[in-house]
Amino acid sequence: MRSLTAFLLVWFGMISVATAQDMPLSQVLIDGEGWQLLSEGHAFTEGPAADKEGNVFFTDIPNSRIHKIALDGKVSVFAENTAKTNGLKFGPDGRLYGCRNGERKIVAYDSAGQPHTIAEDIDSNDLVVGSDGRIFVTDPPNQRVWLVSMTGEKKVVASGFRPNGIILWRDETTLVVTDGDIPHLWAFRVNADGSLSAKDKYYGPLTLPPGRDKPGSDGMTIDKDGRLYATTAAGLQMFDPTGRLGGVIHKPQPAKSLSNACFGGPNLSLLYVTNGDKVYRRKTKTTGVVYGAK
Amino acid sequence: MKTMRWILLAVTCVLFAPVSQWIFAADDYQFGPDSMVQEGVPQGKIIEGKHTSTVFPETVRNYWVYIPAQYDGSSPAAVMVFQDGGSYVNKTGQFRVPVVFDNLIHKKQMPMTIGIFLNPGEVPAAKPGEKGRSNRSFEYDSLGDQHARFLLEEILPMVAKEHSLKLTDDPNQRAICGISSGGICAFTVAWERPDQFRKVLSHVGSFTNIRGGHVIHAVIRKTENKPLRIFLQDGSGDLDNLHGNWPLANQEMAAALKFKGYDYKFEFGDGGHNGKHGGAILPESLRWLWRSEK
Repeated sequence: MRSLTAFLLVWFGMISVATAQDMPLSQVLIDGEGWQLLSEGHAFTEGPAADKEGNVFFTDIPNSRIHKIALDGKVSVFAENTAKTNGLKFGPDGRLYGCRNGERKIVAYDSAGQPHTIAEDIDSNDLVVGSDGRIFVTDPPNQRVWLVSMTGEKKVVASGFRPNGIILWRDETTLVVTDGDIPHLWAFRVNADGSLSAKDKYYGPLTLPPGRDKPGSDGMTIDKDGRLYATTAAGLQMFDPTGRLGGVIHKPQPAKSLSNACFGGPNLSLLYVTNGDKVYRRKTKTTGVVYGAK
Repeated sequence: MKTMRWILLAVTCVLFAPVSQWIFAADDYQFGPDSMVQEGVPQGKIIEGKHTSTVFPETVRNYWVYIPAQYDGSSPAAVMVFQDGGSYVNKTGQFRVPVVFDNLIHKKQMPMTIGIFLNPGEVPAAKPGEKGRSNRSFEYDSLGDQHARFLLEEILPMVAKEHSLKLTDDPNQRAICGISSGGICAFTVAWERPDQFRKVLSHVGSFTNIRGGHVIHAVIRKTENKPLRIFLQDGSGDLDNLHGNWPLANQEMAAALKFKGYDYKFEFGDGGHNGKHGGAILPESLRWLWRSEK
């Protein structure tokens, strides 16, 4: 017993200065399992979002169409005439929330693909919905982040930078926002009233492709262990929960924009990316989290 | 015959080299008398406090201040700042700084020095029971002046005011120390503000690519020298992982400092990523760092 106590003392003494757990790509990627093409022939793909079963929805912005990828990889049209809907995420009510930017609206698509207006007069690019129904929305042209309630009230909770992708930590205490012009990601504390504070350049520095001075960071997703995946010009950059880069996953199409990512498929164990005109997925050793449900 | 003997000797060496390394290179560093409480040596006072930062917005951390028994407020004291302060201030830990300070100050082998021991910050979660955002890697591994500003704008004035202490303004009488990421942090602070901090002590410093710090040695080589005195400690058994190779990174640092003619010392042992070696040689490191001769 005494030796156990001594061991524990030494062990705790060591962790007091030990670094956080390292998270290399090998914890996530599977040897021999690369990107698999799921859907092509689109103009520009964005907004991949998984429902709780693992079906993934993505948008083809210029063609104003939202598609559904079933668990088996089969692609179908979910909604048409979507007014250039951009970012998508599921909410706690099981509806698919979207940035219907052609009409400057935030909407919720029901299971039949019909849009229901949540908020109006709002420019938007991407969004995330908390389990309490709070919606955080990026508004790049006006350089601000909105908090939108399910009943349509909206207020600005951050400003002064060019936000793009947006994601909540699994416990929803931290909000992360990308800005494609700067080589890090912003993190904010989410306060009880939905206001944001403790803004800092928590994730970074991002990897820049040789010869470029802007990372082109866009959409993000998070996995069960708190790793954060940010789409960038250099590829899909994976960070550990302490904000350290774990590695860069290559883009399926190197010359095309990598716009967004999500986990989906059976057990949310597949990683999906929207990459220019095509959508891909690959098997991983990890699993994603269901948004809008804690 | 002579050749035969040489071959035999060579073979023996090759065969037994790994074993001898295992026997003699076991990271078995021991404390000397300066790391032990000595009778008749007056002991300094340790005060614990809590600080909420604005430079690292809303982060909260514990800190400790060591005040030498000899301090009477008649003249300003030298200052030494420690990252991961909770470990360094522990009188029975791997460093035992208060004990070493007591002994060395008593013997006049270092100046009357106030120790400031800072833990890394955390952004507390807004909701009770949720995990906060650990800020250690962000505060320590990031390059740039944020940590220097944190010390100069907040910590030094706060410690002086809260505890009614006279701290020196002389950069030659200000030192900064840390282990692992705290080591690169110590270097970065002095590198950014040599007008404020000129003595650096790094234990198994993370001059690796956690957040871009692997470039420092190259930057040293191409930057006009700064008036710094730097003590580096590392060991052949230190980390080799996705962020880099610690033994090589520390050797690169030492080589760059040597090339540029810096006032530096590099102790390269056979230890791993811990404070055993650094702790055992802490008294001699401090004597070297605080020596008055050039």
